[in-house]
Amino acid sequence: MQLVEYTAAARLLNSYGIKSVDSRYVRSADDAIRFSGGKKIALKAISSKALHKTKAGLIKLNLLEGEEISTAFADLERRARKFKPYKILAQKMSAPGIEIIIGGREDRQFGRMLLLGLGGIYVETFKDFALRVCPITRFDAKEMIAQLKSRSVVTYSGKSEKMLEELLLRASRLISESKLSELDLNPVIIREDGYEVVDIRILR
Amino acid sequence: MMKPQSVAIIGASSNPVKVGYVILNNYIEEGYQGRLYPINPNDDKILGLKAYKSVLEVRDRIDLAVIAVPAAIVPKVLEECGRAKVRSVVVVSGGFAEIGDQKLEDKIVAIANKYKMPMIGPNCLGVMDPRSRIDTLFLPTFKLSKPKIGGVSFVCQSGAVGSTVLDLIAKEGFGLSKFISYGNAAQVDEVDLFEYLMEDDETKVIIMYIEGVKRGREFFEIGKRLSMKKPVVVLKGGVTEGGAVAAHSHTAALAGSHEAYDAVFRQCGFAIARDLTELLHYGKIFASEIEPKGDRIAIITNGGGTGVLTTDAVFNAGLKMAEFSSQTKSTLKKKMPSTVNIANPLDLVGDADDRRYEDALNLLAQDKNVEMLIVIALFQTPGADEKLSERLVHLKSSIDKPMIVISIGAGYTEERKIFMENNGLPVYDSPAAAANSLAELLKYAKYKKKMV
Repeated sequence: MQLVEYTAAARLLNSYGIKSVDSRYVRSADDAIRFSGGKKIALKAISSKALHKTKAGLIKLNLLEGEEISTAFADLERRARKFKPYKILAQKMSAPGIEIIIGGREDRQFGRMLLLGLGGIYVETFKDFALRVCPITRFDAKEMIAQLKSRSVVTYSGKSEKMLEELLLRASRLISESKLSELDLNPVIIREDGYEVVDIRILR
Repeated sequence: MMKPQSVAIIGASSNPVKVGYVILNNYIEEGYQGRLYPINPNDDKILGLKAYKSVLEVRDRIDLAVIAVPAAIVPKVLEECGRAKVRSVVVVSGGFAEIGDQKLEDKIVAIANKYKMPMIGPNCLGVMDPRSRIDTLFLPTFKLSKPKIGGVSFVCQSGAVGSTVLDLIAKEGFGLSKFISYGNAAQVDEVDLFEYLMEDDETKVIIMYIEGVKRGREFFEIGKRLSMKKPVVVLKGGVTEGGAVAAHSHTAALAGSHEAYDAVFRQCGFAIARDLTELLHYGKIFASEIEPKGDRIAIITNGGGTGVLTTDAVFNAGLKMAEFSSQTKSTLKKKMPSTVNIANPLDLVGDADDRRYEDALNLLAQDKNVEMLIVIALFQTPGADEKLSERLVHLKSSIDKPMIVISIGAGYTEERKIFMENNGLPVYDSPAAAANSLAELLKYAKYKKKMV
């Protein structure tokens, strides 16, 4: 299994109509400041040796001022040293919303499967998720959402529920057609009027 | 295999401790009407029947051969079955892949395939069909209560679970269509059995115990089609698989093998039982062939506390308590004694007799707000007797709303329970069992209509 490079993974998502936050690699603090263009950004050190970026302290969020960005960049470089080779990814901060996880994996017995769950830091604590065999139908998508204990938290309205169904159908197609071994879209930030994938991990 | 005109029992024996004796004796005791051929090279006559040295000696078409000989000679007798054009085989014998001898198992599969013989087993109890009185089980009849004829087919990988559940099906009082214990699934597996049961008109409901499936994707595909036709209740053993060792991602860490099975069952619309008791409870509700209309429940009871417990169970199962219409309430007020508080649960109080139940049930059955009825009949009270159980059975057919009974107790209650069960009225011995079973019934009805 091979980890798909971040920007290539984002392009793959995009080709299935799945939106992820505006991201690019930056070479220096100045480069990151230019990318921010006066808006809040996040910086992440990306390395195939670091599986849990949060635990390893490889994520800096809500950076706005130039000095803030420079300090964060320097700190990330120091922390990422033991995970060489690494790159630093800058991302526009997503507007606040609810964090969910959409994932996929290949099961030995049943083939590729799709997962939807309450995401971010809650994934492992609450283990509130629904799983289905790919490709899923719209009925399956509706059932997955209904199965979540956190359903009322994850969906704001009939409209956002439709949006999530659509997203699940697209993710299911992506997993099946692109023959992915593992997929983690975690977190995906859901708002009443839209969503964005904030972190991507694809193994092929 | 299920309706054989002729059966050969290979390894039949005159020695009562041998499996081959029990199998043959069961055929005789249960009054199997077809032709029986005991096969044993060392005997001329077994249990009064002429014995043959090999199936090749039998000058008749053999529809089913039951093989109960030591593993090492199974290939030899199977080869003979093939040459004798035996139409199907059940290999009861153990000593194959389950003890690590995959080579021997592959060998018998190759023989069965060569002669295009469907083969169940090895290492299984085989098949039972109370209609055709075929029974390959090697369990003495006096030790195992056998279920009556009915519409539930029970598919079971394990022989031990199979025999205990059969015993319990008989106790619960619902009827059996087919019992298939398929052991190692060396050739005939879950997918084949689903294909068969889907087309079998005698099978209305399928309950199954499995530990794993052989062909996952095909199982999923046929499972989806099957449950659109017939309800399936599944219990899976072996939920752990070492956990999420060395998972690369959150998804893999969360969704292991057990979760995958659970997802497949849900996606197929199966009712998932968490233990043997639930397997039986759900099997019973589907066997009743009740068509649920909605989730608003009315509870009628002759015991206040049990009514409260059942109300809790109804909410816990995700169902709702019906709000009686004002007309129902005013009529109930007129008809019921002043000690009866007109509310849901409707407590008819301890001196309720069959007439009071009848009046209340007839009124609630006409109320549009009530979609299912749970009748609690506690037979320890003075007013509840044989007449009540008879009245309830009678009302079940005159009321056009789903109705089930909760009766809790021993001795006398058990008798009343069996009476009602035998007359097609599902009875449960706990509020949770009753409410969860109704919830499963409703879930399945929604699945078939693709409603979330």
